[in-house]
Amino acid sequence: MADRPSGFVVAVVDDDQGILRSLEILLESADYAVRLFTSGTELLESGRLPEVDCLISDIDMPGMDGFELLRTVHAARPGLPIILITGYPDTLKRLPPLGGSTPRFFTKPFQGPELLAAVSDGLRQPRG
Amino acid sequence: MFNRDAVVREEQHFILSTLPPSATQKWLAAAVVAGIFVVFASITFGPLSGVHLRRVDAFVPAYVTAMFVCDAITAILLYVQFSIVRSRSTLVIASGYLFTALILIPFALVFPDAFAPGNLVGGLQSTSFLWLSQHAGFSVFVVAYALLKDEDPGKRLWQGTVGGGIALSAAATVAIVLLAALVCIAGDPLLPRVATDSLHFSPLWPYFIGAPVALLSLSALVVLWIRRRSVLDLWLMVVMWLYLIEVALSYYPDPQRFSVGWYTVRVIGFLSSSLVLIVLLHEISTLYARLLGAVLAQRREREARLMTGDAVAASIAHELRQPLTAMVTTADAGFRFLDRPLPNLDRAKEAFERIAADGHRAGDLIGTIRANFKSEVRERTSFQLGELIDEALALARSDLQKHGILVHTEPGRQLPEVRGNRVQLQQVLLNLIVNEIDAMAAKDEPRVLSVRSEAYDGDRVVVSVADTGTGIGSQDADRIFNPLFTTKSDGMGMGLSICRAIVEAHEGRLWFAPNTPQGAVFQFTLHTSGPASAAG
Repeated sequence: MADRPSGFVVAVVDDDQGILRSLEILLESADYAVRLFTSGTELLESGRLPEVDCLISDIDMPGMDGFELLRTVHAARPGLPIILITGYPDTLKRLPPLGGSTPRFFTKPFQGPELLAAVSDGLRQPRG
Repeated sequence: MFNRDAVVREEQHFILSTLPPSATQKWLAAAVVAGIFVVFASITFGPLSGVHLRRVDAFVPAYVTAMFVCDAITAILLYVQFSIVRSRSTLVIASGYLFTALILIPFALVFPDAFAPGNLVGGLQSTSFLWLSQHAGFSVFVVAYALLKDEDPGKRLWQGTVGGGIALSAAATVAIVLLAALVCIAGDPLLPRVATDSLHFSPLWPYFIGAPVALLSLSALVVLWIRRRSVLDLWLMVVMWLYLIEVALSYYPDPQRFSVGWYTVRVIGFLSSSLVLIVLLHEISTLYARLLGAVLAQRREREARLMTGDAVAASIAHELRQPLTAMVTTADAGFRFLDRPLPNLDRAKEAFERIAADGHRAGDLIGTIRANFKSEVRERTSFQLGELIDEALALARSDLQKHGILVHTEPGRQLPEVRGNRVQLQQVLLNLIVNEIDAMAAKDEPRVLSVRSEAYDGDRVVVSVADTGTGIGSQDADRIFNPLFTTKSDGMGMGLSICRAIVEAHEGRLWFAPNTPQGAVFQFTLHTSGPASAAG
């Protein structure tokens, strides 16, 4: 987490260390500041949610899953851009009601440039 | 303990001439035998002895036609059985039924007043001697059948083509029928006077007609009793018993045609003719239902296996997708660090290092998966089956002693070593033994567990584990290998299906057969290490 020339902070939640580290280096290559969390609970308990500008979260995690995290974060930070990623394409077929938020979805393995484009799109949106 | 035929090929469990009779069938046969005896007694000594019935000439053609149809269909069904099992005994008994059917034609023609007043062909004696030919002839066919059926495979099986066998036996049967008809019709003036007129039998009848038929059917009954084994044997014995009653009723109490006894003999004759047919039809439909059940179970098993396969594939895909995603994402990052006006070489290098690490992680995953699925089965050694059996019995010893079970082992002499995963095969053997202990624990004495091994089909050996327990009900026979089936209240139901999977992974087969007189025999085959080690 070096300098933060872009000034934006992106939080990444995934229970897989390999995925976390790869997203960290990808986001840093686009000059974002990155915060890594291995679970939704860890993010919520860290107290860092207010400084986050964009959230990327895995869906299929033990304990609190991506959908639950999304609902909790949406209640605390409505309008925060959220991107969900999943290893199981079938997960997207059983989407629960997401309470008004409109996350972007990516299936692993995803294209790095597309994910970065989604992040910058989310950051450009007017805050609600 | 061990029936001589305990080692039966599993495909033969579906063939009637080898299928053992169920307890119900035995009771039914005993009931028919006793019932017919009651009928005989009540006609000879009882209330029916004084009854006189009207002479109905049309009865004969109707009766002969019905008998002909029954016997012909039975013959056809037995010929079909022959075409499957190719055993010479089945060919002989099929010919026997063809014989009784065909000889009814001259019998009807010579019967006095059946089609026209007087005899159409032949003389007064022809009818009785054709009846003799039919009954004595069929008894001889039954004796031949009983003598042929236990030969060793080399002699037992018909070596020629199926069509040739059927054509030859049918031609021989037709020739015998023609010869019998010729003797009985053309030779009428020379034959002993067993009939005094078209209705009454003379005192010579018991000597020339009754005694030969009774003797032959009694010998057939005895030979069948000694060698009884199959459903077909059981019902042929009943038929031979009916023949004996027919002989007695034909002469006592009223030695004449169209008496109560005579009509009863026709009814019994029709019964004996249709008995085997009814049993054949019943067994064929039962076997059809059983086969259908087996096919459906197999299909379900295959689907279950595919589902398991899908689940395994999905889990492998997910495991591999994580490192692959990390690699692709990190590669994108590395590219971005290089594709700058001022490339950040340090961070690009870091990206490449991470990609290599993720690649190794994926490789390790594949290695782990392969180890989980393969390593155990791959560990195959050559060993003596006898040792494996002794070890399994030693592991079960306390259970065997607790239930007072006698153990009887017959290790195959000079059996070659077998090849396989020793631990897994010991589990199979132990599982079968424990199952059989449980089957016997629920029962009174005798409790005997027999384990034996012997050569099977050249390069294989077969291991048999037999008990004297409760056996396996026909309703369970189709499902005992299903993964979730169990008859035990505390069973998990995985035992036999896992046993079968292990044996099949060794390119062997696992099946079961009923043990005689009670219990079940489980058998499985294994490959030997090869001809080179045959001396071991």
